[in-house]
Amino acid sequence: MNGQLAAAMAAEVAAIYAYGILGVHLGAATQVNEARAAETAHRGRRDYLLGKMDQPLAAPGGYDLPFPVTDPASALKLAVHVEDGVAQSWRPVLGVSQGADRATALAALTDAAVRAVRWRRMAAMSPATMAYPGQAS
Amino acid sequence: MVLTGPVGTSGTGHTRRQLLGAGLAATTLAGCGVFDDKPAPAATPDPLQPLLDEALALAGAYDRAAAAQPALSARLTPLAADHRTHAADLAKLIGVSASASAAASAGPAVENAAADPVAALRTAELTAQKTAVAACLAAPADRAGMVGSIAACRATHAEALR
Repeated sequence: MNGQLAAAMAAEVAAIYAYGILGVHLGAATQVNEARAAETAHRGRRDYLLGKMDQPLAAPGGYDLPFPVTDPASALKLAVHVEDGVAQSWRPVLGVSQGADRATALAALTDAAVRAVRWRRMAAMSPATMAYPGQAS
Repeated sequence: MVLTGPVGTSGTGHTRRQLLGAGLAATTLAGCGVFDDKPAPAATPDPLQPLLDEALALAGAYDRAAAAQPALSARLTPLAADHRTHAADLAKLIGVSASASAAASAGPAVENAAADPVAALRTAELTAQKTAVAACLAAPADRAGMVGSIAACRATHAEALR
């Protein structure tokens, strides 16, 4: 289970980093608030994972972004990318957990998928949903 | 040390012989099926059958809403397609025909669909999400991922209908 948790941890830490970068490029106040709320949610998941893992890995200090973030459009695109990645990182946890731990993993997957939809709608990306959130495409 | 005293049966009035006899009878009955390898006459439906029925019922509800209000069609059609994908994959997984189970479907009623179809569909998605969450938590490890993604998808549909 630790390998799966470590992958979820890596995705959550990357998400926190990404929101720090993309937040300053968002234009509308509603989007900035949305990004703040998302970052807080990811910090909560990271803290949950810290308590679950035997040996938490040291997080890298920085990340190579998948594409440059220079304006609101690329910031929204990164938010979608990050949430899709977080959803994908939690799905393998479902198969190696039970009970309350599986419920938490499913909530983390679902919350990330819902935020991804919200960002896609803000970015006017279509389609906004997919049949299997969390399944690597 | 006395090893041959009467064995009490804690005042239930049963002798040890009676208890032993009852135990043997139960063992014999339970053993009846051991060499009986005929298949069970009525197979229990797969635990994911309700999820499949619900997916088909939701797809149908989207179709009806889009037919009633063509302006909604572009918004609703991709969501219906997600449910059809779930239904087809669930049918394959549990080894039934998706169309056959559609006939037997007793999926969620989408209430007040005429008054506000989008709100009615949103309520139905949230109800269906709960079914899928419960199914995911009860699922064996090899099904948990797929069923979890179906639960998450239903939640994203509710979000898309806001």
